Amino acid sequence: MIHVDALFKRHGELEILKGISLTVNRGEVAAIIGPSGGGKSTFLRCINGLETFQGGAVRVGPHVLSANLHPRKDAAQLQKVRKVVGFVFQQFNLFPHLSVLGNLIEAPMLVDNEPKESAVARAVALLDRVGLLAKAEAYPRDLSGGQQQRVAIARTLMMRPEAILFDEPTSALDPVMANEVLGVISDLAKADQTMIVVTHSMRFARQVSDHVHVFAGGHDVEFGPPDKVFGDPQHETTKSFLKEAGKD
Amino acid sequence: MNRLIGLLFALVMLCLPRLAAAQETPAQGAAPAEGGGTWATIQKDKRLIWGSDMEGGGPFIFPREDDPEKVTGFEVDLADKLGEYLEVTPEFSQGQWDKLLDLLRAEKVQLVINGYEWSPERAELFEASMPYYVYALQLMARSDDAGITSWDDLKKPRPDGALMKIGVLTGSASQEVMEEHCGALCEVIGYDGNTDAMREVETGKLDATLQDTPIASFYAPSFPALRPIGEPVAPGYYVIYARKGDRQLIQAVNEALILMLRNGELERIYSRYGIWDKQQQELFTLAEHAKFFGYEKAAQVEVNTADAPLTQADVAVTSTRKRGWVVVQDYFPVLVKSAGLTVVLAGLSFPLAVLAGILIAVGRLYGPAWVRLPLTAYVEFLRGTPLMLQLYFIFFLLPELGVNIPAFTTAVLGLAINYSAYESEIYRAGIQAIPGGQMEAALSLGMSPTQAIFRVIVPQAVRIVIPPVVNDFIALFKDTSVCSVVTLIELTKRFTVLSMSTQAVVEMMLMTAFLYLVMSYPMSLIARNIEKRLGGSGVNV
Repeated sequence: MIHVDALFKRHGELEILKGISLTVNRGEVAAIIGPSGGGKSTFLRCINGLETFQGGAVRVGPHVLSANLHPRKDAAQLQKVRKVVGFVFQQFNLFPHLSVLGNLIEAPMLVDNEPKESAVARAVALLDRVGLLAKAEAYPRDLSGGQQQRVAIARTLMMRPEAILFDEPTSALDPVMANEVLGVISDLAKADQTMIVVTHSMRFARQVSDHVHVFAGGHDVEFGPPDKVFGDPQHETTKSFLKEAGKD
Repeated sequence: MNRLIGLLFALVMLCLPRLAAAQETPAQGAAPAEGGGTWATIQKDKRLIWGSDMEGGGPFIFPREDDPEKVTGFEVDLADKLGEYLEVTPEFSQGQWDKLLDLLRAEKVQLVINGYEWSPERAELFEASMPYYVYALQLMARSDDAGITSWDDLKKPRPDGALMKIGVLTGSASQEVMEEHCGALCEVIGYDGNTDAMREVETGKLDATLQDTPIASFYAPSFPALRPIGEPVAPGYYVIYARKGDRQLIQAVNEALILMLRNGELERIYSRYGIWDKQQQELFTLAEHAKFFGYEKAAQVEVNTADAPLTQADVAVTSTRKRGWVVVQDYFPVLVKSAGLTVVLAGLSFPLAVLAGILIAVGRLYGPAWVRLPLTAYVEFLRGTPLMLQLYFIFFLLPELGVNIPAFTTAVLGLAINYSAYESEIYRAGIQAIPGGQMEAALSLGMSPTQAIFRVIVPQAVRIVIPPVVNDFIALFKDTSVCSVVTLIELTKRFTVLSMSTQAVVEMMLMTAFLYLVMSYPMSLIARNIEKRLGGSGVNV
């Protein structure tokens, strides 16, 4: 489904990703963990073209993102990938000028020319699924962080993405709200939704993922099934990171 | 001496069109001569468009008391009579006095009749008719001011040592004459309105004023506290101007003027306004010489010194001064009507400005370099030059490039273009205030950059910038007053015209201010309402 091949990204003199390769098959969940500044978010943002990169390639199904794309000139190519890869942000990024329902139906109507009735019907079903049907007419600022993030997930699902990228979806939330969101993501995993999740929640990574990757210093230093990585870490960085993370 | 030279000039210009027209005759067979252009048009359309400024006031041209939207004055009567002789319908076209010759050049009018003095500089650039009035300059002071009885008294300081202050019309012959007379011994102060200086003398702010004789005579009843000092001096000629090359037209005008003079019709018109004086005898001398320059027919008419009694229609027109409620009752409806034009101008131009402003802002923020650079230049250029100049360019200079845009369209376009520069800066700031995550969220949902900009970013920016945009709308609303430069009579122009003709400045000012306030305050309220309503959606501000 998603094949990343030797991804290399530099920001000025600073090398952020130093040739990372990663594959996620259909229906799999990959978790990316690791210390801050290790390149996790940047890696995720490269996959749907929010960041450009200088080396390697990203392949999503039949679509390919090559190095050094131009955000405007290659917009059509980027758009193709984004249509099949959803993205959930740490800061939710709901559209504040639209209601919850408006946030959900805007893109399908605009991008896929979906009729309003059909979009609304699907939106209502999705809101029900994330437990927020009562908030359909509310505006984002009237919602708690956890509710906003659940709306953001529903909004992404409206595009029927083949894969969803989660960029620290619970880092801005308190534990109670984080659990609401993690519950929704777990449900998606059970429904065999292809996902890559960057997270600081080790417990969650262990529970939902099919394989775990540890990013540090721009390298994928260690990866494997969660039981292996968490139960028997090989790499020194992984060991010290898990030790630190375990203190929380 | 000056007068003799003036007379000579007048004679020369009287003969010029005749001689020139005679020389052109052979060319007329094949194609119409350049000089025949306007005259041919006038004869074909059966109408003559003449430009004048009703703000100039009495006795030249000013709003009628019974219908302030129509004009009267000796120049209006003159144009009417001219129409009779030329067998065409005269059509008055309003223009700002100092822009009338520009209107002529831009082919917006065919003749200018508005107290324009003959000068060698103007005669060089335009065709001038023979004089239709001989004016002179009259010194006036307060009747109770014993300190001024002659021109020489002006050079004597007041007992407290203060120099005499004398008001003149800025840029007119009176200013030149008075500055020469005074030197360092008295102070000359320029005014824009004809009667402003007279009012200032009356109130004691000025010691004296020097005025053209028609104004001094016509407004004498309105300013009973003033009296003439000495005889009028430095005579000059009011002439009618046409475009360079329109010699056949000027020739026809000259012929009509000579006939009107010799028939006594000119005297009759001027007498109605109390401005027929002995200076006008000089016109007969000119007419007498006209026969030498080919105006035989006109010169053969018997001189009729207007001994026919004045009829009912000739009842003298004098200036009256209204005050108080009468002014409100008589003029408020006209002001309201002009306010309507102000509303229409603002209502049409501002949405255009906003639309263009948004597109410019988007182009500057998201466009490639070849879009950004010209837009930046556009904004800087339009912000850095006055609106008045831009309107002037569109209305008066574009016609020379073959683009002739009507006044109303010019005003709407000019305002929209000028304000689009300001709006674009506001929207640019508004767009930049939207967090970057909004664009990323829109793109990651599969929207194209254009969809993301116009469906996600711009709608949020629009909400943020409501207060400064409303502010700009109110500013534009008041800036519509600049449109008088392109001959539109909106509220402010109507105010100056009426306060000049009625002298009821205070009443007019209060009514005008009231109207502007009544129109702009509801907009503030509406804006506040929109802000509250849209603010409810919680856009980050």
